[in-house]
Amino acid sequence: MFSVDVIAQILWTSFATSSYFVLLAVAFAIVLKVNRVFNFAQAAMMTVAFYGAHTAVGILGLPGWVGFLLTLIVLLIFSAALELLGFRTLRRQGASPMFIFIFTLVVSELFAYVAMLIYGTWPATIFPSLFWPVRMVGPVVISAWDGPAIASVFVALAVLSAFLRLSRPGQFMIAVADNPDLAELYGINKDRIYLVTILIAGGLITIAMFLYGSRAQVQPTTSIELMLFAVAASVIGGIGNIWGAALTALVLALLQNSSVLFIPSEWQGFLLYIFLFLAIVFFPSGIRLGRPKRLSRQTETPEFDQPKGA
Amino acid sequence: MNRTWLPITRALPAAVLGIMLAASLPAHAQETLRFGLAMPLSGGQALYGQDQVKAAEWGVAEINAAGGVNGKKLEMIILDTQADPPAGIQAVERLVSVEKVPVFITAWSAVVKAVAPIANDNRVLELSVGANSADIAKLGDYVYTTYPLADIDITAVAHYAATTMGKKKAAVLYVNNESGTVGAQIFKDAFTKAGGTIVAYEAYDPKASDWTGSLLKVRAADPEIVHIQGLVSDTPQVIAQMRQLGLQQPVTSYAAAYNPKLIEQLGAAAEGVIATALAPNGADNPTVAAYVERWKKEVGREPNGLPYTQYLHDAPYIIAAIFKSLEQKKLPPTGENFRAELLATKTFELPLIGKFAINDNHTVNSPVYLMEVKGGKWTQKAIVN
Repeated sequence: MFSVDVIAQILWTSFATSSYFVLLAVAFAIVLKVNRVFNFAQAAMMTVAFYGAHTAVGILGLPGWVGFLLTLIVLLIFSAALELLGFRTLRRQGASPMFIFIFTLVVSELFAYVAMLIYGTWPATIFPSLFWPVRMVGPVVISAWDGPAIASVFVALAVLSAFLRLSRPGQFMIAVADNPDLAELYGINKDRIYLVTILIAGGLITIAMFLYGSRAQVQPTTSIELMLFAVAASVIGGIGNIWGAALTALVLALLQNSSVLFIPSEWQGFLLYIFLFLAIVFFPSGIRLGRPKRLSRQTETPEFDQPKGA
Repeated sequence: MNRTWLPITRALPAAVLGIMLAASLPAHAQETLRFGLAMPLSGGQALYGQDQVKAAEWGVAEINAAGGVNGKKLEMIILDTQADPPAGIQAVERLVSVEKVPVFITAWSAVVKAVAPIANDNRVLELSVGANSADIAKLGDYVYTTYPLADIDITAVAHYAATTMGKKKAAVLYVNNESGTVGAQIFKDAFTKAGGTIVAYEAYDPKASDWTGSLLKVRAADPEIVHIQGLVSDTPQVIAQMRQLGLQQPVTSYAAAYNPKLIEQLGAAAEGVIATALAPNGADNPTVAAYVERWKKEVGREPNGLPYTQYLHDAPYIIAAIFKSLEQKKLPPTGENFRAELLATKTFELPLIGKFAINDNHTVNSPVYLMEVKGGKWTQKAIVN
């Protein structure tokens, strides 16, 4: 059972299927980091993204890339509306974090119900077919979905990283994340940065749900179920640590898929909860890898003569 | 005032009031035979519930067009359950306490179970049509199913795989919830009893989207056939990943896999998939073919959950047969008499389902139709009695 072929296959497939989990975790983490919101309304964003793509491609028969672009536009509008009409209104009213959290829960359930009313509960996909052609690379089966999925994640995260480091809005996002009040004193418009952040999250979610919906069937409540993975990755990776959340999502996907080789398959679903429980209890700040020790030269502190006349 | 007008002016309003009262009484209070239908007309399951109600309405209309029951029309009182136990309880309470029906039809296992105490306490016959939880057979004296329960079709396909198909080694993949766990165990027991061996028995999480690990374990076990006890949402994905990993064995499943979308989603990968159906299909039964054509003509599509609508279409025929029998024996149409007559009649010949029998132990005997994907469409492979 533990042959090189099996291990290689699991590693490859887990790596590919972690793509949407990584994007969803990063989307959640970035809103948590910058906007300081536990954004459970991300489930609503995911629902809108999937059913937008399903409508464009599955129902209207538009080409995939056109469907993706239309979905992206719809989700950016939805994300902006969520921020402008929802979060910004609540901030101006001085709503407590608990109240904002309840608001996000209500939004996620509301849109799941709306999707149920419009599309029913029958599982749906974006493309009519779930089957992707495969080819063998050595002993490993690689499907035509895997490459684009992995590439999408790398490109998305590379663009995000460059945006945060090199662009003014990106740098402002980091500043607001570190200290929103100080950032405001320096002339940074916090509300505009919150809007930019949630738009970025919307873009990542569009890619994630397009990947997921082209490989799996989705029902109105699927997004709420997928949220747990994003939340777990953000908590375990360290609240406020975007790249920690991304790496954690990848590792969790790998562990969950390969666990069936070591433990009874009925326990596979419990693993995520076990990791989350252990992380909250023993690593409340997330699992942090220690900073590497840097080389340093130490010299003696020089002695200074006392000034004359002192 | 003229004295002759006075009695008329006093009598006239009373006469008008009397006429209005008479008109407001149920027009066929003495002429219709009433029963209840509690189904989801709103909510997430309305997609199926509304089609099933329409099928039942067609059944009632056909019976009435043919003269009803000894000249009396059948009247079906329809209420909404939303497939939700509390709403189901409200609907059935109204059917029993206000409408005073001797029998009602309902569906969705959670609702069937929730309203069972009302049926038992009030001695009103509850007919479950479409729910397949094995618990339904144990819900009390006044609860009967006219739809085969979960063990019938899975036992049939397991036995067929081991005996007729000659497969001796099977792998079972099942979703880790009540329906998957129970169904997988039924398959395992039936396949083993028929002389086969289960070489892999793997559960998966209902929220899973990747089955590589489990499928690799199945591949290593080298089965001759793979049985999938999953949900509508995950069965096509499991089969897709199976085929991608090089597992080309025949696949068996139960009624959840039997839908045209499976072929659309899997294409050539669906070839050889065998699923069960609990009602004859149009290709083999001209009455069913005409029924499906009527749907396409009047509604513009096939019904959602075709086999379930077939059972709902035929349920009024069962009720009409019992009403007729009670009339012939000059027995009042009470719940007790309905139940007794149901068990005394036992066997029914129905237009879309065919022949089936209700057992004393609250189960039904019905043929199981094994459907196989061949040449890109579902074809009937066998009928297992």
